Amino acid sequence: MSSRARTAVILCTCSGIIAERIDWEKVQKLLAGHPTRPVFRVDQLACGADNLEQLETWLKEEKPERVVVAACSPRDHEATFRRLLIGAGINPYFLQMVNVREQVAWVTADPVQATAKSARLLSAALDRVQRQEPLVARKVPLRTEVAIIGAGPAGMQAALTLARAGRKVTLIEKEPFIGGLPVRYEELFPNLECGPCLLEPVMGELLHGHESEYVDLLTLAEVTAVKGTFGNWTLTVKQRPRFINPDLCIGCMACAAVCPEHRPHAWNAAGELAAVDAPFAGALPNFPHIDPAVCLKLKGEECNACLVECPVEGSLAFDDTARQITIEVGAIIVATGALEKQDVPAAFAGLADVHTGYSFERLLAMNGPTGGEILKADGTPPQSVAIVHCAGSLDTNEISYCSGTCCRAALKYAHITAAKVAGVELTRLVREQVVPGLDADSQLHHDHSAVSRYSGLGALSVDGVGAERRIVCQDNGQSIAAEMIVLMRPVVPGAGTSKIAEVLELDTNAGGFLAQLHSLSASCASNMKGIYLAGTSRGPGDIREAFSSGTAAAGLALSELVDGRDLVVDPQVAVVDVMRCSGCGTCLQVCPYKAISWNARDRIADVADILCRGCGTCVAACPSGAITGQGFSRAMLRAEIGGVLS
Amino acid sequence: MSCQSYSTTHPTIPTNNVDAIAGVAVKVVAFLCNWCSYAGADKAGANQLPVPAELTAIRVMCSGRVEPTMILECFQKGADGVLVLACHPGDCHYKEGNLRAYCRAELLECLVPQLGVDPRRFRFDYVSAAEADRFSQITNEFVDQVRALAVRPFKN
Repeated sequence: MSSRARTAVILCTCSGIIAERIDWEKVQKLLAGHPTRPVFRVDQLACGADNLEQLETWLKEEKPERVVVAACSPRDHEATFRRLLIGAGINPYFLQMVNVREQVAWVTADPVQATAKSARLLSAALDRVQRQEPLVARKVPLRTEVAIIGAGPAGMQAALTLARAGRKVTLIEKEPFIGGLPVRYEELFPNLECGPCLLEPVMGELLHGHESEYVDLLTLAEVTAVKGTFGNWTLTVKQRPRFINPDLCIGCMACAAVCPEHRPHAWNAAGELAAVDAPFAGALPNFPHIDPAVCLKLKGEECNACLVECPVEGSLAFDDTARQITIEVGAIIVATGALEKQDVPAAFAGLADVHTGYSFERLLAMNGPTGGEILKADGTPPQSVAIVHCAGSLDTNEISYCSGTCCRAALKYAHITAAKVAGVELTRLVREQVVPGLDADSQLHHDHSAVSRYSGLGALSVDGVGAERRIVCQDNGQSIAAEMIVLMRPVVPGAGTSKIAEVLELDTNAGGFLAQLHSLSASCASNMKGIYLAGTSRGPGDIREAFSSGTAAAGLALSELVDGRDLVVDPQVAVVDVMRCSGCGTCLQVCPYKAISWNARDRIADVADILCRGCGTCVAACPSGAITGQGFSRAMLRAEIGGVLS
Repeated sequence: MSCQSYSTTHPTIPTNNVDAIAGVAVKVVAFLCNWCSYAGADKAGANQLPVPAELTAIRVMCSGRVEPTMILECFQKGADGVLVLACHPGDCHYKEGNLRAYCRAELLECLVPQLGVDPRRFRFDYVSAAEADRFSQITNEFVDQVRALAVRPFKN
């Protein structure tokens, strides 16, 4: 490559601010002997719109091969001057900026020193720019369809937001029914709103609304493999059989009423489901689901009870089989949710009438095992209820973080219990109380339960049985009436969350939730471009956050995948020299974005330019010097080092 | 360190060096990452805080891009000091490039004395995009320290 490319140097005075400290005449004299023989031009305000027009004309006349601009920080105007070069017919990566405003004129009191330093920096830039390469931004066609994993509030909201924009969405749910956790709840904190009233319209719109034609719902489905990169993902989805033909079934549930076989209801502490059933009346989609492990006919035994009763022939599809489906999308939204930790701490294990949040929530629900009555296992109401906050949270032996939602749920339980069970003795055992939010204010201040502070589960023991049962707290010697006990267990990642992290190769954080690209500014993006996060897959949260993060994740997919707009790949990425790569794999370990993959055929590293963000960590780590950081290559940086030290 | 080969004697400024007499003899290279320390340097400028004229910055996208050999090359080409300034731990724009840079800096601190360079001529530190004062303070401290050291014995 020529080391003497014709170079134009634009010296900006920044309306005189730079010229107060830097003598551009002197700089030109100092650089007159530079081997590149640069052509200089001084501009009052290089970035001004009028001036940029003049500059473009000047560059077209001078026809330089390289351009150096000494002005403000490249963080301000590098993009402006790159556009100038494009306008003048010069490759935009033949530009080098010298930051003489922020990093020389404004920080160097002595004009002599400021001028000398500017000359040194310009000399280095002239050396560097000779080694710069013309780079071309590659354009890649993008798919605009989106796959959403998890049909809880976050996933449904993301799907609806995208569908309203006319985007094709595949909503993948591992359960037979949609709605996630809140469909189990009767009332929602902080305002004790009716849960089904909030969720059913959302589910209805998703399944039958104007935009439902854009939504393809796959229940009983799990993503088992993912290939590709941002803009072009291929998902393999395995769908288990439902044994119901959705085109024929009218959802009358006559089959469930006559089914002779039953299984425990996974949601409820008591109650059962038939082998062909739905968890509650009105569960969506409005078809039952047959559990093949329980159904006699599917187990090969003689039973036609449901077939006899079913009013629409063909609705029950016992020949239904598992399917493997391939889906091609541009982006993936993960909304796989979280769960309450379900095990019961030792001090409470095996005791009667001990609930966790979820099972207590079912006692409150009209469609729960007690029809919404707070009843003990013996069918009578409790005389006392003790609600234990932080049961396992803020505990270095169990879950060290605060889930941030349980206190508001506990206050809801206290409120509803006081309303439903006349004369109940109600105590909340708290370690800390976390009740944020304007509208949660009344929850805390209208609560009339007794409050007792305790230091940790180790300080609590249970004494007595039935109406005489008490929780004894070692910390203060208090003995708290506890005929029914509700343990507010910590929120942990859902089973689907850790599984999907493995399939999608997403990082997880210390709590096992999916790692966010940035916890504050990019909390709905994963570290993998084109995979967005919504809801509690990112960490414990409430329904409000589920809805808002669903909207946010959909917004990211909409803004990054636009119909008709190709993906422009920044060419300032890492490139592997196949002849020099020794196949050691060092770079694979240091890449924070999984942009480097192992090419088993050639035994070398491959960089996916779409995923590479150009940090250069692999470039520095490569022991063979086989990786070039385009725009910041070794040759360019060495030239710059040589220049500043000349 | 038992095998020091750098001079620890009091500074001796050669009288025939005009630049040295003028107090601008030293040359210090600072590798700054685009998102934190370079932005911090820009902010120092916006706040008109003093930064030594002897310091010249080389912008990289991430401190993780800085190859140890580049730092050695700076010393070879006559740098009196080399600074690498990164994002604070946990704040790296590229998640963990700064931690790679930190590991390399630890190694370099052991390596440079073997090559005859006083380890006080190399410093790795963290400056955020908001820390204009810290940028000014670190650069002044470091350049003062380098000025106070003896002239490098093997410097061309």
